[in-house]
Amino acid sequence: MPPVEIKKPLTPDAQLSLVRFSPCGVVLAAAAHDGTVRRFDFTKPEPVELPKLGGHNGWVTALAFHPTTKRLFTGDSWGKLVAWDDAVGTAKKGWEVTAAHDGWLRRLAVSPDGKAVATVGRDGFVRLWNADTGEKGKAFDGEDDLLAVAFHPGGALVTGDLHGRVKVWDTATGKVIRTVENAELYRLDRIQDVGGARCFAFDSKRETLLVGGAQPKTGGFVQAIPHLFAVDWKTGKRLHTWKGTSDNEGYVHDVAWHPAGYTVAVTSGQPGQGKVFFWKPGEAAPHFTTAKPNCHSLALSPDGTRLAVAATNANSSGNGRVKGKNGEYPANTSPIHLWTLPKSG
Amino acid sequence: MRPHPLCTPADHRLTRRLFLGATAAGVGAFALPAVADELRKQRRQVLMVWLDGGMSQLESWDPKPNTPFGGPYRAIPTSVPGTHISELLPHTAKQMHRLAICRSVSTQDNSHSAGVDRIQRGDPKNRGVTYPYLGSAVAKLVGAGDSGLPPYIWIKPGNGGFIDKHAGFLGAKYGALALGDGKPPENLLRPATLSAGDDAARNELRKLADKRYAAGRAGGATEASSHAFDLAEQLQKKVHLFDPAKLPAKDAERYGSHDLGRHMLLARRLLEEGVTFVKVTSYGWDTHGDHFNGAASLHPKFDRPFAALLTDLAERSMLDDVLVIVAAEFGRTPRINGHLGRDHWPEAWSVAMAGRGVKPGAVVGKTNAKGTEVATDPHDIGHLFHTWFTALGLTPRKARYLNDDQPLPIAHEEMKAIPGLLA
Repeated sequence: MPPVEIKKPLTPDAQLSLVRFSPCGVVLAAAAHDGTVRRFDFTKPEPVELPKLGGHNGWVTALAFHPTTKRLFTGDSWGKLVAWDDAVGTAKKGWEVTAAHDGWLRRLAVSPDGKAVATVGRDGFVRLWNADTGEKGKAFDGEDDLLAVAFHPGGALVTGDLHGRVKVWDTATGKVIRTVENAELYRLDRIQDVGGARCFAFDSKRETLLVGGAQPKTGGFVQAIPHLFAVDWKTGKRLHTWKGTSDNEGYVHDVAWHPAGYTVAVTSGQPGQGKVFFWKPGEAAPHFTTAKPNCHSLALSPDGTRLAVAATNANSSGNGRVKGKNGEYPANTSPIHLWTLPKSG
Repeated sequence: MRPHPLCTPADHRLTRRLFLGATAAGVGAFALPAVADELRKQRRQVLMVWLDGGMSQLESWDPKPNTPFGGPYRAIPTSVPGTHISELLPHTAKQMHRLAICRSVSTQDNSHSAGVDRIQRGDPKNRGVTYPYLGSAVAKLVGAGDSGLPPYIWIKPGNGGFIDKHAGFLGAKYGALALGDGKPPENLLRPATLSAGDDAARNELRKLADKRYAAGRAGGATEASSHAFDLAEQLQKKVHLFDPAKLPAKDAERYGSHDLGRHMLLARRLLEEGVTFVKVTSYGWDTHGDHFNGAASLHPKFDRPFAALLTDLAERSMLDDVLVIVAAEFGRTPRINGHLGRDHWPEAWSVAMAGRGVKPGAVVGKTNAKGTEVATDPHDIGHLFHTWFTALGLTPRKARYLNDDQPLPIAHEEMKAIPGLLA
């Protein structure tokens, strides 16, 4: 049974970096470019927006729920890390670290046991934090702009960098256990470094790491062909590859593993170009694809029945002074498109 | 006869009396203020850093952190109290006391094809002629000086050559000598198998052939060809400038090994040799997509060598002579498109400058809180040309080119210099 789109997207008045469902599946949290965290309650027949969470600067770019509690962790492009208690309800700040990184905190992940938060930043560091208190733990030098981070369900930490490298870290020693090179995911175009390993997901058997990014053709406009790799976790060997067909399609910006055994991923390329697709590693082509403008993130509810995709409004680009309907200079936004999915896939 | 409004090469020479007076007093007399001033007047140079495609004003000179279009980056304090620029330019921030920023630039074209030409030609009123690029204009108005090198050298990635179209109506000899990838033209040096005498004889023969060919024909192509040979002759005497082995290793490290760093370092060397106008072009700043990651990569590659260059020019007391300009064809849109890029934006952007005639530390004009409008008097490129010509000691409100017998203003006659930017 194909996914059914709910023809009434959520319409936050900001662009979004990231969306994630709470472990209970009833709240969708969204990291926004206006320094806020937006939340939507899905317990009602139609989602209801909860009060915004403020206190961040720049863009909120990192967001993850604690695996077993109602705590939410958020990070921003000025380096601040915040823990929110009761994030599915009244949401109060538990603790915050003003300068968790020097500048852009790119992404964060919570350890499977819920005890640690890992953050990565443009400053090149991987940092660990006590999830209960915010106390600073170990820090490792990733020696590059780090764009992605995830914990393997078994506890090891994995990071993705601007040069497309995927590194597996021993969090106890700070040693890199394995580096998987993905040369396609990086290009030096003139003087611009372009690309990177941008997003991760693990399959439910903990055997396969999914790595999303793109093969860049140019800087500037950033023409790039989206790529998604399925990598054997134990050996680092690439098992399967999906790649787009055009360098207008851009990056795979986010990926998740559906409990029914396939990946859900989103892309964003040239303005207006974007898609949501379902692909089972090994399949020649995705078994479901739908176009949405510039998709930057997706969230799957834990039971796999609900999909939310943060995309972009139509006509988001234009040189010079574009005018809105009322003559104003318009800002773009990220409508969140929703689908219901069968549990079986 | 009315005096010619432009200065002439003679105006730039030390008078015989002053020179003899100085040498009679010994070498130390060159340190006398009058002589030092005279020498300083002789050197009028320009460095233009052209960030082709358009560097974002919001991630450089005019950050708007924590506003709807401000992007992810922070603003940082600079060496001028109260002035902040983007965190992507930390080294330049320490040089702010040497820089001036115009944050009220508002120009006309949002396409590259029109914008590059219009900005570099100063957008004068249409007079039915093609105006020169700034480099050609300065080569004409200031002259070649005593460097023995071409007055307008353009350091750029890719191919080089002699680019006469920059000269517009001034004529081919004011065109740009483009050094592709900062290298001298190929086959510049006389082959070892050719004696100096034979080489000279061949050149004489060529000149004779050029002269005969040019007789009775419009001069452009022959003039350009002939001038290219003259340039090659000049460059043959200065090939050491292009030898990286002649540079201290720490300079290469400070400027960086990428194109922009190497080219800025070469620019410093050419300015030290006395070249009148050096332009350094960097391509790839047209960041319509993934702009913020692009800026994270690109801006530091401008920041480090530019700060190093300002430091070096200051340490050599060359900022008294060299006008430094950082510009592009436009800025970038406040609105962030779906590809997380910024598009073309001539409406409200910034240009930075330093050195000769510029008021250090000045910030002129401002944009509104969101960066979507110039909130003070807007300044077009014509205003900036007036400002730069004035900084060079020219009188743009009065000076005229002579296109055959047609007097033409050197800058837009309805605009004027921006006083707050001038020392």
